[in-house]
Amino acid sequence: MESAVDPRPTPAEGSIPYLLIGLGLALLLWGSGWGLFVAPQESYMGDVQRIMYVHVPTAWNAMLALTFAFACAMVSLLRGGWKWDARLEAAMEVGVTLAVLLCIQGSLWAKPTWGVWWDWDPRLTTTAVMVFAFAAILALRRFVDDPVRRAAWSAVAAIIAFADVPIVYFSVRWWNSLHQLQSSPETVSRAFHWPLRINAFGVLFLMSGLIALRARVAELRLRDELGPPLPLPAAAQGGL
Amino acid sequence: MPGMGVGVIEGGWEFVWTAYGVSAAILVGYAVSVHVRYRAERARRRREEAPQGA
Repeated sequence: MESAVDPRPTPAEGSIPYLLIGLGLALLLWGSGWGLFVAPQESYMGDVQRIMYVHVPTAWNAMLALTFAFACAMVSLLRGGWKWDARLEAAMEVGVTLAVLLCIQGSLWAKPTWGVWWDWDPRLTTTAVMVFAFAAILALRRFVDDPVRRAAWSAVAAIIAFADVPIVYFSVRWWNSLHQLQSSPETVSRAFHWPLRINAFGVLFLMSGLIALRARVAELRLRDELGPPLPLPAAAQGGL
Repeated sequence: MPGMGVGVIEGGWEFVWTAYGVSAAILVGYAVSVHVRYRAERARRRREEAPQGA
């Protein structure tokens, strides 16, 4: 049991992350089945458009995970607390995983529709920058042994890297792009709404469960690192 | 490419199946990797916090 003066994080117990992951996978199975076998064929792209039912929810949730990472970085810097550093690490790892998956799905959609696997157009280029920026932060975290410096440094780096996330979102509006405009219930035929919505919630629950579970891993590692003497987080020492 | 010039892309199921297959593999694989790391860290904590000689 954590003592009153022990600033080390105490990871939560319980099965909520597993419930979220299970619910997310079940919804994904349902939504993908609907998208693959029930939803009608799209008028121009034919069956290839069915990739949308996994690609668009992955994109939404990758950006959501990285936005949550930004929020964790801000709280970690301003208020301190090891839990926020653990959540930052978890959100970045899950966000990068989803963003890499997003690029693979996009490539598989681009080849039959655009004729190329990849193009250096604004949406794809800014997405690649986003993936490499957050992946670099995750990789460099491993090289900083001091947890206090690592928490402060990676929070600042995550805030800087996050500047690219809105650019990714608006890139298709700001510049001429091969990539189509954002998909939403307003821009997509009603016949395609349900599988898209079900999969969006599926990836959302899965992402939430994975971030919660991955944060526990980070907290357990932090507890190990923060064995006595116990340093305080950056904010508790008066900030950076 | 089959279907080019008539306004509709025909076929392409191999791309669809690959996209869904890769998605399933990455999402399930990542979930398993997080679960395995969590179990390993929890087991290590239990070992370290167990009383000496227990």
